[in-house]
Amino acid sequence: MKLPKLMISAAVAVAALLAATPMGAFAQDLQMWERTGGNATMVDKLVEMWNEKNPNRKIVLTYIEHSEMVPKLAQAIASGEVPDLMGLDLIYGPQFEAAGQLEDITDYFKDDATLKTASPGHILVSTYNDRLYGVPLYADVSVLYWNKLLFKEAGLDPEVGPASLQDIHDMAAKITALGDGKYGYYLPGNCAGCNIFTFGPLIWASGGKIEPLDANDEPLVGDNIAKVLEWARQMHKDGLINPANQSENGSTFAEQLGSGKVGIMGTGNFNLSLLQAQNPDLFNNVGVTFLPGLEPGSAASFAGGDIVTVPKGSKRVSDAVDFMKFILSDEVQVEGYAKLLNLTTRGDMANNQYFTDPRVVKMASALDVARTPYTLKFFELINSPQGPWLQMLQRVYYTDDPIDQIITDAKAQMKAIAAE
Amino acid sequence: MYSSPRSKWLGLLYLTPALLFVALFTVYPLTQMIWVSFNNWTLISPPKFVGLNNFTKAFSDRQFWVSLTFTLKYTAIITPILMIGGYAVALLVAGNSPLQRFTRTIVFLPVVIGLGASSLLWYWLFAADAGFINTILRDLGLIRTPILWLGVNADVSNFAIIISVVWKVLGFGMILFVGAIQAVSTEVNEAALVDGASGWQRVRSITLPLTLRTILLVTLISVIGSLLAFDQFYIMTAGQPQNLTATSVFFIYLNSFPYLKLGYGAALSLILAVFVLLFTLVQMLATRRSHA
Repeated sequence: MKLPKLMISAAVAVAALLAATPMGAFAQDLQMWERTGGNATMVDKLVEMWNEKNPNRKIVLTYIEHSEMVPKLAQAIASGEVPDLMGLDLIYGPQFEAAGQLEDITDYFKDDATLKTASPGHILVSTYNDRLYGVPLYADVSVLYWNKLLFKEAGLDPEVGPASLQDIHDMAAKITALGDGKYGYYLPGNCAGCNIFTFGPLIWASGGKIEPLDANDEPLVGDNIAKVLEWARQMHKDGLINPANQSENGSTFAEQLGSGKVGIMGTGNFNLSLLQAQNPDLFNNVGVTFLPGLEPGSAASFAGGDIVTVPKGSKRVSDAVDFMKFILSDEVQVEGYAKLLNLTTRGDMANNQYFTDPRVVKMASALDVARTPYTLKFFELINSPQGPWLQMLQRVYYTDDPIDQIITDAKAQMKAIAAE
Repeated sequence: MYSSPRSKWLGLLYLTPALLFVALFTVYPLTQMIWVSFNNWTLISPPKFVGLNNFTKAFSDRQFWVSLTFTLKYTAIITPILMIGGYAVALLVAGNSPLQRFTRTIVFLPVVIGLGASSLLWYWLFAADAGFINTILRDLGLIRTPILWLGVNADVSNFAIIISVVWKVLGFGMILFVGAIQAVSTEVNEAALVDGASGWQRVRSITLPLTLRTILLVTLISVIGSLLAFDQFYIMTAGQPQNLTATSVFFIYLNSFPYLKLGYGAALSLILAVFVLLFTLVQMLATRRSHA
């Protein structure tokens, strides 16, 4: 007996629908979004640990292209189709909090002691009008690396890294003199994000302030800003930075140190584990210190990374908060973060059995001198390739325009954006 | 019979699916976009009506003019290259010898690659230190220091991107031209040959006039495509240096999504749409005239 055509078509349609359903996605699962380009290894591990302990409320993790995260999230909010948990580049926290699009989780953490030692930068951007909207998902800090092999070759003490901007200049000059495509320092010419991560701390360590909080706040404040910019221009004029860096838009930024051709470079803690895979010889021959300022001993760092938040509209707020508490717990801090040699997101957990490498300890302590910019328009002001921050630096690095004029122009642009 | 009320309704009934489709996917989004352009809207906050502010702001925005001028410059340079290049290649490969068929295939091959993928490919080919182009030039002794192709000098970046787009798109125009050239009656060409016309004379007096409609069609497609250029600039320069290679669509994208200024982005889109419409009207008039 032949089945009627309609029934066959219906069976095929049902089969197709079932095939299109993500494997393992069930109604009780929590949906979580996280951006690409962040610390995927760490986030995967956290979700894996949670899913092992919570088989009845597993997290289904979806990665969203980093540059599309904010628009995608905005679209999700506008359409009411939000995930239950959302990993958010921490700098975007204030924008979404101010718009009232994140769940207020203050009361859930009222008696939670773990929050007291959580990364201050992450907590700062997770807080709006004294209410809490997120907790640290993972932390990145910027530090200064030096290549001990090139230091030895240039006749420098390989165990002593630069302690001031002048040190960087002088050491870089000796390394650049080696020739053969070796350059003393690295500054990416076409990457706004890389520069706030690694050049911003040079300004902070010298006593300067970069971004305005809002329209009433003055940007680029501090007498030493001009001096730091002069230093950067001089580094270029003296040929201590590879001219090819001018086109670096961030896509090969993390691989530069591993090339073995760069003497000193500001980059993130993530670069150490990357080196292990990229250039194992160099992995054992790099030193790590804080990014310095004009004065010897001054130091700063950019505390980056992601926060995890609950978008307004999530029906699983309580479960989502449980995940937040889970990743702040002692066990996950040590067996999750530290075991993978990632920074613990709680300062009091930095002393653990896995942090035996003094460089990792140094990076963990960078959180103490680290800052996280707080502004409602971070992308437009700082992170955008079209923004005033990168435009200012490009004029400093590659033109002879007067530094004071460059600062004045950048201030005006930043103020105009903040006022919009 | 066709003018009876019943047949009119029947005609409308036949048209209904198409009308519904256009209403749903063209008229409704366009109306929405016009409404959005009169508002300031970030998607995460409620829209705020601002009247024509977004339009007046666009015309006083320096970057709007920088982007528009750059887009027109890019269009003005690449269109003749695509047209003349595509037509010249088409003339060479319009025959049906194995070599001509093989060449046609090779030239057409990049057309089937996505523009994003081809832009990434050329991004790496033009890389300063490890890129294939600089390596070849250095090995040939033509350069000593690497040329910074992308994101450093606007003209050099434009030049590099034009090379990549010509590689990617030339085959499309060529294949349309080949079709048009092959459709030219062989009798006409043979008559010209008997009259002693040279190859160039036949091209100028026979092939060109008889393929004019295709030429105008390819020009139209090329101009619209260039005015709406985005992928290649987004991937290869991200508007650098100093936003000088930020095309109009890139500028719209930037405002609409990363900056979440949906209203301003919508206003910019409408202004660009009017520009494209004007170009299209001019082209259509020219096409009609050539047909007449």
